[in-house]
Parts: sequence; C-alpha cells; structure tokens
Amino acid sequence: MSQIGVDRWVEESESRQQQYSGWTAPARRAFDKVRPGWRLALFLGLAALYPLLVSPSGVRIGITVLILAMLALGLNIVVGWAGLLDLGYVAFYGFGAYFYAIVSSDQLPAHWPTWVAIPVVVAATALLGALLSLPSRRLVGDYLAIMTLFFAQVFVEVVRNFSRLPGEPTDITGGPNGITGVDPWTVFGFSFNTFNRNFYLLLGLLGLLIVGLYRLNDSRTGRAWRALREDTLAAEHMTTPVNRLKMLAFAVGAAIAGLSGTIFAAVQVGVFPNNFMLVFLITVYAALILGGLGSIPGVVVGAIAVAFTPEILRNPGAAGWLFYIGLLTLLLVTLRKRPMVAAVVAGVVAFGYLLRAASLAIWGDTILGVPNDTFTGGFLDGWLLILGEHQDMASNYAFVLAIVGVLGVILTRGWWRVVALIPTIYLAVFVWENKLALQPSITRQLLFGGVLMVMMAVRPQGLLGTRRVEIT
Amino acid sequence: MEFFLQQTVNGLTLGSVYALIALGYTMVYGVLKFLNFAHGEVYMFGAFAGYGVLTVLGGPSALVVPVWLAITLMFVAAMTVATGIGVGLERFAYRPLRRASRLAPLISAIGASFFLQAAALLLFTANSRSYDAPTLIPIESGVTVGPIDIWAVRILVIITAVILMILLTLWVNRSRAGKAVRAVSFDTEAAAMMGVDVDRVIVITFIIGSALAGVGGVMVGLVFGRIFHLMGFIAGLKAFTAAVVGGIGSIPGAMLGGLLIGFAEAYTTSYISSTFQNLIVFGLLIVFLLVRPHGFLGRPDLAKV
Amino acid sequence: MLALSLVVAACGDDTGGGDTTTTAGATDTTQDATPTTEGDVTTTEGAQPVDTCEATVGFIGPVTGPVAFIGEVQLNWFNYALDTFNEQSGYDFQMVEGDNQFDTAQSATLAQQFLDNADMVAAVGPAGSDQVDAAGAVYEAGDPNFTFISPSSTRSGITAQYTGMFRTVPTDDDQGPTTADFLLAEGAQNVFIIDDQSSYSVGLADSVEDNLGAADVTVNRESVSQDVTDFSALVGTIPDEADFVYLPWQVAANGQIFANQMAEQGKEAVIFGSDGMDSEDFTQAGSYIAAFAPDIAAIEGSQTVLEGYLEQYEETNTFGPPVYAAAMVIFEAIDRVCQTGQTPDRANVQAEVRNTDQAESILGSPISFTEDGDLAEGRFFIFQIQEDGSKTLVQ
Repeated sequence: MSQIGVDRWVEESESRQQQYSGWTAPARRAFDKVRPGWRLALFLGLAALYPLLVSPSGVRIGITVLILAMLALGLNIVVGWAGLLDLGYVAFYGFGAYFYAIVSSDQLPAHWPTWVAIPVVVAATALLGALLSLPSRRLVGDYLAIMTLFFAQVFVEVVRNFSRLPGEPTDITGGPNGITGVDPWTVFGFSFNTFNRNFYLLLGLLGLLIVGLYRLNDSRTGRAWRALREDTLAAEHMTTPVNRLKMLAFAVGAAIAGLSGTIFAAVQVGVFPNNFMLVFLITVYAALILGGLGSIPGVVVGAIAVAFTPEILRNPGAAGWLFYIGLLTLLLVTLRKRPMVAAVVAGVVAFGYLLRAASLAIWGDTILGVPNDTFTGGFLDGWLLILGEHQDMASNYAFVLAIVGVLGVILTRGWWRVVALIPTIYLAVFVWENKLALQPSITRQLLFGGVLMVMMAVRPQGLLGTRRVEIT
Repeated sequence: MEFFLQQTVNGLTLGSVYALIALGYTMVYGVLKFLNFAHGEVYMFGAFAGYGVLTVLGGPSALVVPVWLAITLMFVAAMTVATGIGVGLERFAYRPLRRASRLAPLISAIGASFFLQAAALLLFTANSRSYDAPTLIPIESGVTVGPIDIWAVRILVIITAVILMILLTLWVNRSRAGKAVRAVSFDTEAAAMMGVDVDRVIVITFIIGSALAGVGGVMVGLVFGRIFHLMGFIAGLKAFTAAVVGGIGSIPGAMLGGLLIGFAEAYTTSYISSTFQNLIVFGLLIVFLLVRPHGFLGRPDLAKV
Repeated sequence: MLALSLVVAACGDDTGGGDTTTTAGATDTTQDATPTTEGDVTTTEGAQPVDTCEATVGFIGPVTGPVAFIGEVQLNWFNYALDTFNEQSGYDFQMVEGDNQFDTAQSATLAQQFLDNADMVAAVGPAGSDQVDAAGAVYEAGDPNFTFISPSSTRSGITAQYTGMFRTVPTDDDQGPTTADFLLAEGAQNVFIIDDQSSYSVGLADSVEDNLGAADVTVNRESVSQDVTDFSALVGTIPDEADFVYLPWQVAANGQIFANQMAEQGKEAVIFGSDGMDSEDFTQAGSYIAAFAPDIAAIEGSQTVLEGYLEQYEETNTFGPPVYAAAMVIFEAIDRVCQTGQTPDRANVQAEVRNTDQAESILGSPISFTEDGDLAEGRFFIFQIQEDGSKTLVQ
C-alpha cells in the first residue's frame, strides 16, 4: 500500500483498465480517463439538449425515463449495494406519490406549499422504509422478498379500498378513482407545470442524486453495505452494525422512491391505484439489472433502455427494423463467417421460392393476400408467401413451428445447424409479415420480452456491470 | 357447520392447485437456487393445451369420446405442452445464465414471461376461454358428505392432486433419479463430483415441475372455468408465496404451503372479508414467517464464514 | 442492443414514436389535407368523387394487458369502422393505434403523442374512467379543441371536466337508478351486491346500493378484486334469503364462474349483471343484464354491419359497437367539414361533432350529444338470458 487511506482496489483500478480488449478498448480507456465528475457533467449536458430536439410527447417520455432512473438508483442502494432483495419498492413510490397528492390537491382539501410538502413526504417515506426493514432482522433472502412483496400488494389494496377498512375511515385516497388535480411543484413562485420544466427539474435532481450516491458509495457506509452484501455473517462478526445498516439502506432507498413519487404525481396531475402495481416493479428491476447491478452509470443506462424501448416499439416501422436487424445480428453471431451468412440468406430466399411455388401449385392463386407496405420494400415480394384468407391460422402454426425451429438451431451444431436455420428464419419472417407486423401492440410486448431474454443471455452482468462470482 | 365444511372443501380444492404449481417452483429452486418466474406461464399454456384437446374432441357438449377419456387426454396434452415449454425455457433462457449472479436469471425469466404472455395473446386472442365444465360433468354429479354436496370435478381435482403428490414423494425418495435430484439440490458441486450429470438432473426437474403445473392448469380450467393469457401471473404469485412459506426447496413444504394458502383464502374470504382477501391471507403468512423465518419445513441454511 | 435502439430511434421519427400511421394493409404515409375546391357536393355517400379530404384519427385502448379482451375487440371494431367508411366514402382516412395497457401513465403519454401529431384531429378512447382523467388532463392543457370520444367510460360527470370529451355510452347516473328500479319492481327484499374494485364497478354498486337502501331493502355489500377467479368462499356467504345478486363487473367470464359456483352450492338468488356482463361469456339462464343497446343482432340496419364484422374478426363482445358508433361520429363529422369546403382541423371537427344528429346508429338509438358531451338519448335496456343463451328484452 503506497498511499495511506486509499483502498487497494481503487489503487489497482489502473491495471485493471489495461485489460480492456476488443474494438471498443480505446474508447473505453479514453472514457475512463475522464473523471467521474466530468462524465456526469457531459451526460447532464447532453440530456439537457434532449427537450430541444424532440416533440412534447418525447419530453414526456424523457420524464418517464428520468423517473425510472431515479427509482432504479434508489433500488440499487437496497438491492445492489446492500444485497437485500426488496420486492416492495413500488409501494414506497406509491406512498410518496399518494401522500403528495393528498396534501397538494382538493382531496382533503389541503394545498401545502411545496417546500413543506416535499420534505414531509420524503421523511415520511423514509420512516416507512425503516419500518419495513424491521422484519429483515429475522428474515433473509427470499423470505424477506416475500415479505416485501406482501407489502407492495397491501399498499395497492389499501389505497384502492381505503374507505372500506374496518372503522369506515373517510376516503382520503379516492378509491379506484384516484386523486386528480394535483398541484405541480412550486418553488419561489416558479411553478413547474410544463413538461420541459419538469424535465429539467428531474435532470437537476438526478444530477444531485448521482453526486450524492457516488459519495455515499465511497464512504464508510458504502463500504459497510458492500461488506453486508458479500457476507452478512462475517460483517456481523467484524462488528458492522448489520441491522442498522439494513434499516439505513431501506430508508434511503425509500426516500428516493418517495421523491420520485411526488414528481410523478405532479407530472401526471393525478394518482391512481393502478399506477403502482407489480408490473411496474418488474420494470424497475429490469432497468436495474439490465444496466448492471451496483453500477450507477449502468443503472441510468438501463433505465434509458428499458423505458425507451417499449415506446420506440410502438412504432411499427421501428419494430420492424429491430426485428430484421436483430435477426441478421443473431445470424452473424451464430455463424461467425460472412460467406456462411450470405449462403444462409440465399438458402432462405430459395426455400421461400420453392414453398411459394409449391403452395401456388397445390392451392392456386386464391390463397394470396395483400402484402404489407413495409420499409423492406420489394425485397420480400416474390419469395415470401403472404396469405389472404387463412393468414391467421397458418401464422399460428408457423409461430409454433418457428419456436421449435429455434430450439432445433440451439441444440444442433455445424452443418445441421445451418440446415435447421434456413426454415426457421423463413418461418420467422413469415410470421412477422403475416401476423406480427399487423398487430403492433402485441408485437411490442413480444419483442420487449425477447430483448430482455437475449440481453441477459448475452451479457448476464448487465450493460455496465461487472462480472460477479457467487461464492456460495 | 355446513358452511365450515363447504369452505373446507373450497380450500382443499384451491390448495391442491396451488400446491401443484408450488411444487414446480420449489423443485427448480432446490436445484438451481433461483425462482422461475415464468412458471406461471407454463401453467397457463397447459390450461390452453387442455382446451385445445377439448375443442378437437368436439367441445364440451358434443364429445366424441367418453368424458373420462377426454379428461385424461387433456391432462396428457397439458403435461406434454407444459413440459415442452419448460424444457425450452431452461435451455434457451436459463442455461446460459448458470454462472451468473442470482438476479440475472430473474430478468430473463421476466422477459420469458412477457414473451409467453404475448405469444398466448397472438395464438389464442384476448378472449377468455372456458372448459364449460358444468356441461362436461353436471353440477349435480358428485357425492354428498353430510350436509354438503361436493361436485364431482372438485373430487377429481383433489384426488388427482393427492395421487400426483404421493407419486412425486415416492419418486424423489425411492428412485435413483429422485436421489440424484435430492443430491443436486443439497450440494450441486459435490453431486457433480460424485458423477451425477447435473445438466440432466436439471432438465428432469424442469420436466417434472412443468408437467405438474400443466396438470394444475387443466384442473383450474375444470373447476373455475376461465382461461386467459394472464392467468399465470396471479397464480404464479400465490404459488410462489406458497412455496416460500412452506420452506423453499422443500417438496413437502410446497405441498403444505399450497394447502395452507388455499385454506387461508377460503376461510378469510368467508369469515372475515372478501375485499381484503389477499391482504389478510398474505398478512397471516407473513406473521407466520416471522415466527418461523425459514418457512414451515425449510432448512435453515448453515452459514459459514 | 442499446446502440441498436438508438440507431432505430434516429432512423425512425425523431419524436418518441407513434407518428407514423398505419392501416391494415394500407399505405404508410400521411399527406397534408389540401382544401377541397368542389362547390355543390351531393350528400349521398358513394356519389362523391374521391377528393382530397384527409385526416388521421387515433385510437387508445387496452389492447394488451389485464383487460386485453376489451381492447382487442375495440381495436377491431375501430379498424372495421375505418375500412367500412373509407370504402363507402372513397376517402382514405388514416389511423394510429395506441395501446395503453389500461394504464393511466401510458394514456397520458399517448394523449401527448396524439396532440403532437399535427395530422390527427380526433381520437377514440381511452376506455376506463381513470385513463380518461389522465388523458383528459393532457388534452385540456394542450389543445381543448382535440376531440376524444370514449366508448366505454361511464363515470358520471367527467364529460363536464374536459372540453373535448364525448362518449357514446350512457352513464352510471342512468344505469344505477334503472337497475334499482327494476329490482324493486321485481319485489326484491334482500340484495347482495359485489363490486370488482374498479372505478366503474364501485360507482355503479354505490348508486344501486343507495337507491335500494332508500327503499328499505336489505343490502349486503362485498367486493372482490378482478384477479380473483375462485369465488366459492364468497358464494358461501350469500344468505339464503337473498333474492338477487347484483354484479356490476367488467369481466363477464368471472361472472359465469360465479354463477356456476352459486349453482354448485345451491344458492337460488338471481343474478343481475351490469352492461359489462353483457357478453357471450355470461350465459346463466334466468339472469338479467343491463345493456345500453338493444340486441344489435335484432336491429335490421345493424345486423349487416355485425355480420360483416364477424366475418372478418369472428368474435365480439359488448364493448365493440360503441367504438363503431364513436368512430362513425368522428368520420361523419370530418366528412361534413370537408363538404363545406374547409380543411379538417381540430376546431371545426369538434364543432361538427357537437352538431352530430344521427337518427340511426348501430346501437339502435339516435346519437346526439348534450352540451357536456354525454349522449342525449342514452338509456339502458334490461334483458333476461334464456336457456339457449339468447336474450329477451324485458324493459
């Protein structure tokens, strides 16, 4: 140790960076040379340009992305740093949102000024987080997860049926109708009531949060959390105050969630029970893990990917791009040699011609339907069979066969794999053009699920995460 | 008294179904140490497979084969389809992530869940399907135990579940393959060093777990009658809870947990309130977990530093 | 993959998506509507020349998600209406599909996307009342001239809050008292009401409970969440003295399960379902349902429309026809705007929608709107389900 007070891990980071390989290596080395502060400033600067380039709905989506990023950062503390599986995180988010809505609308009525409401809400949510951490003294791992899951469900049910609780309390949550007419944040008379303003507000808060989190991570608490995550028993023996740390992790995570909740309520100008269901929790987890558990920039990148992808996929053209490029990429990755790829594509086209000729011979012209006018233009005409009347039924069978074909491709090697690839790819394109492209909403879900699966298979540690070795 | 008996039967039926699904969760967890969130979708496809067979055989009102044969075929079809999907999931979504952190397969499972739900929407459309069991097996048929009448379908469900659970316990405790499964769930590395083919064991586990879930799907279709693309999500959640409460990784624990949740639901809904049904059931389970932090029959993990 | 998505975002539109338009099998471009120069244009459809009246109409609905069976049928009817109108009029209106998964946050985002789309003049949807709140807030703040017609939101009073909102279904204010009056007329003494915790359901249940309570009928009120599929325990708590069980549910299939389990446990109360239960999924003989339209298969004009729809899409439910009605209202309004020689834009289309005065519609009753946007002549019909599954009109 050459420097007192500096972690050896930090010291040796230079030598670890030399190990970057591949064609991204120079970029990554250069990027690492930039100090974290400047990296953050660069990110914030680029993000600040975003509203100027897109339409208002784009800014709205940007707001969704930033809220998700904040949530994921908060969850990162609990799951990534302290290693506690918290499946009830969305309840803190909801609590913050509802509390803010109750005190900033006509529900009570109460219109607390923002500088009073926000600290109260955040503090209350933190307190709730601390309370929820109490069972973690007894429960570990998956058992704690169940407990927190229960809490998430409790929250939604209570909020939705508040007036029916025993004792018939007055309805402060609005029941299934939610609360509307929530005030926006107002600071010194400046009201954040447009999308752009809220976007910049979120960006500013995110920046502050990231700076705070970096400092937290490098502090004693951060190191204690890491110890807690890696080996709780050992940490306890080393006199780390394990229970207090768990409480702190939960509380800080909850506070961040509560803050995000208030902005969510302000932007949507209302809160409804259905906003805080488990499906949203899954989204936050996806953002967290996809980006890389434990890594702050990773989490932000993950949030951007997870929030943008479904919105982009709404657009049938974009979904088509993703599909075809994805198909080609998978082909390249599976086959590795360029000539092989060309051969396979040729094989698929030939297969298509044969199938089309055979079908026309057997059933005649009547089975043909109107081709979609996609960006692939005329490339598909002629060899891809687009059906008319029996499109639905044939596509269903083709879909199942395509899945079987994918399994076949995975299970085979060498030449057999090439042979399995050709009909599989043809079927995939067939199903796409005959069914999926015509139902963009369902295809959106399909593709999103597929992207998640593929991304985790390709990079299990997440986009910017570090590989972990689990020592059981 | 009659009321109580009725609710007991209801609880038993529900519990049997939850137990079957929970078994799949617990077996996979025991072997792979991870929760297969796409298990609910396997169950859903099993239910649809049963529906497909029923339609092919003429539908509930015009069956071309005797009812018992139809139901057997439905079970077989459901098991086959569910197993296929389960094995496919293992091969495609989970095997590449064997060495990764615990949470990576979680996201893959969630992605698989979305994918399968969307696939079900595409293949079956959003309309619920119904087995229309009252036409298959009229409501009047059944036994009368004391003051209450029990529908034949409920009896079928309970008996089938019990038989399957007995068979599973025998298999796990007596057969070689079962021994291998137990070995792998106890200590994967040691089992591998002893010559157990871990990959094969994992595939076998998935096969059995998925088959059970498939059967569960058909049962739900028979008793409750509504099959739709999202049914796996809720049932999966409850079964997951059942598996954990019974002690995750323990097969008898999953059975017990499932029954517990079934009874809890039946009794709380009827005696307390149906509005906060989920809340109360989960609340009871949580209180219970706090008392026994490793689940009913779970093994406390010996932690070594 | 991240790079991919960025590339895609760059290559696609630079807005967040949803700008490009699509009809099933039609072209993928939109053009600016150019002013028509015809003078006297005859008003019979089909006799018009294919002129350049162009517009884009949006659709927001829960196409995937927990109530996909509602959204799927709504989308199909919308597309059917579009294709039918385009065919009959010779126009080429475009549509944009928006899936909100029954979620309020996505509804708000979609509403903003629609507002950003300069070619879009009106939209059908959202389906649920809370989504209407979310989307309505966006529309009201962004462009109150944007017309949006909800085909299934029934909460009373929301049309007054949003300028551009209309709806083609009657409200809970009609259904509640109609139901209560019918039950009283049938001599109900003891009614068991179960809501499914959605805002639609709670509103109706409250209304019926209040009306019945005012007439001194014993009312038991319970509630159960939509994802529960086993009601055996709840059925067991129905008192034997109950005459009627009122189920204002959105998911008719659950209602059928409930009915089966009632039969199983020997409960003899008669089920009365709200309009959400008006579906092929619920066929319990002897039950009553309320519906906002008479049996459209029995209305002559609507029969052909229904047959045409079933030929193409095979299945339908009660949520479909109001979408058709709503879509037609919009299309006809745009048509009227074009015939006066103007270019359709949001303001004049909304004005024409307010002037809607159709003597006939697929729903079997005339369509015109009150000042707020509610149906001027909506009423509820009560049917009883027969042994063979058909419905007979009772009131």
